[in-house]
Amino acid sequence: MRSTKRTKIFSKTVIYLLVILLMLFVLFPFFWMASVALKSPNEQFKVPPTLFPTSPTLVNFFSALRYPFFLNYLFNSIIVASLTTLVVISVTILSAYSFSRIKFYFRKFFLVLIIISQLFPLAAIIVPIYIIISKIGLIDTYFSLIIAYLSFTVPISVWLLRGFIAGIPQELEEAAMVDGCSRLQAFLRIILPLSKPGIAATAAYVFYVTWQEFMFALTFITTESKRTLPVGILDFIGQYETNWGNLMAASIFVCLPVFILFMILQKQLVAGLTKGSLKA
Amino acid sequence: MEYKRKVKGDILIGYIFILPTLILISFIVFYPLIDTFYLSLFKTSLVLPQPKFVGWKGYWEISTSGPLWLIIKNSLIWTILVVIFQFILGLSTAILLNKDFFGRTLARGVVILPWVMPGIIAAMVWRLMYDPQLGIINDFLTRLGLIKHYMAWLGQPNTALFAVIIAAIWKGFPFSTVMYLAALQTVPPELYEAAELDGAGGWQRFINITIPQIMPVIRVTILLTWILTFNYFELVWVMTKGGPGKSSHIFPTFIYNVAFKQFRFGAASRYAVVSFLILLLFSILYIRELDKRGALD
Repeated sequence: MRSTKRTKIFSKTVIYLLVILLMLFVLFPFFWMASVALKSPNEQFKVPPTLFPTSPTLVNFFSALRYPFFLNYLFNSIIVASLTTLVVISVTILSAYSFSRIKFYFRKFFLVLIIISQLFPLAAIIVPIYIIISKIGLIDTYFSLIIAYLSFTVPISVWLLRGFIAGIPQELEEAAMVDGCSRLQAFLRIILPLSKPGIAATAAYVFYVTWQEFMFALTFITTESKRTLPVGILDFIGQYETNWGNLMAASIFVCLPVFILFMILQKQLVAGLTKGSLKA
Repeated sequence: MEYKRKVKGDILIGYIFILPTLILISFIVFYPLIDTFYLSLFKTSLVLPQPKFVGWKGYWEISTSGPLWLIIKNSLIWTILVVIFQFILGLSTAILLNKDFFGRTLARGVVILPWVMPGIIAAMVWRLMYDPQLGIINDFLTRLGLIKHYMAWLGQPNTALFAVIIAAIWKGFPFSTVMYLAALQTVPPELYEAAELDGAGGWQRFINITIPQIMPVIRVTILLTWILTFNYFELVWVMTKGGPGKSSHIFPTFIYNVAFKQFRFGAASRYAVVSFLILLLFSILYIRELDKRGALD
């Protein structure tokens, strides 16, 4: 009896130790980002580096904001990510509904087509997309990025929304249709309002992946002032010496919006991302 | 009669609703993919602006001369190591976070943070931590007595790829944790209770109950992380640009380099086709896995 109690205390201790170890591993890079961002310009070049800033200062954050074009980058990122999200959601809510509720021929074939399009290496299609976009003269515009971003956000959005809609009880629509609603009315009046949380989570996810997209943004935008944040902050890396304090402060600005989005929508996001693949 | 008409109308709406999505992905995914195959039969370069048809000879060329085999080797080392360690770390942390302890909800939220961090930022932070002079990693390792001199982890051909692999494991393992954690919660507790009555120890319960019960999720997760890792661009690009030399180039970074630094679209397309074919097998397995579990119905 006594020994089981002792092993229980022992295993509890082991669990807490492992959790602490895990948290240290997970959080250390975040801590380091914040620590360097808060260091004074002198302290950040100290060798060996100090673990904590000796006299924390916000000077790096102000310098980052004053960096040439930083606010442009921020503005561009917001525009591109929001417009992409808007287009993706309005197109895919329709197909997601269709895939989860309506039986039609070749439904599975089309669904597989959409899923498989998400599994291609983006590097394998970037060259033709680049050629097409230069031919229609859209290189170096927001549109070039929005078009390119549709290639990987549309499939994932269909997949997530379809999972959320599948979770809405079918009886609600059927009852409405028995009462004389058409399919379209049932979709607009019942499914659309009820899938708001799912739409919010999917929109957040689409916003998140476009907000941080790097490869297309690096390739399609050539004018400095038109860059988005992920490519823009590369400017902070100097040829000879990098101002890491400014760079880490700018990085925190890039992280904040997605962390806030994630905190608000964590439950729905995790449910959406796991549901599709967990369905037994 | 009335019902039949309704069903027919339904089918029509079904097609109309998927049409915009299908048109979009045909134009921006499938057409470019076919075009990549077509471009791969040509030779283009800065001095040769008019593409010249070379047919299959181009493929013969890259397989006999050029870094194709190095890129394949690097890509496999990169993908296999990242996937294996994300599996081990993901499963063990999921088991840990499935235990009862104070602050569990918070710990579950915190563990996902690396995965939420934008890839480009993770790449920068790890690059700074690996910095030969200013990096904290060298400082830690010398304090622990594991190295005598500061090392340029990202600047040496024999360590660069592995240094990025560690960053990639950190960045991506929470996805596996989330998947396995969700799967563990679906295992019926009665199974464990019955096994305990039969006198099965912790390890036996893990091998005989937990693993078989979550096996389908393990398969899907491993396939998905394989595909995502194989395609991952920015971490390698920002941390090493594929260097030094070509020592840390993987398919996405090398294709990008050939296409947009050397402007050899034909050669880049050939590498792209090879990478597509390697990945195709895993994509098919992934779709089959989803299909088997009725996720496509």
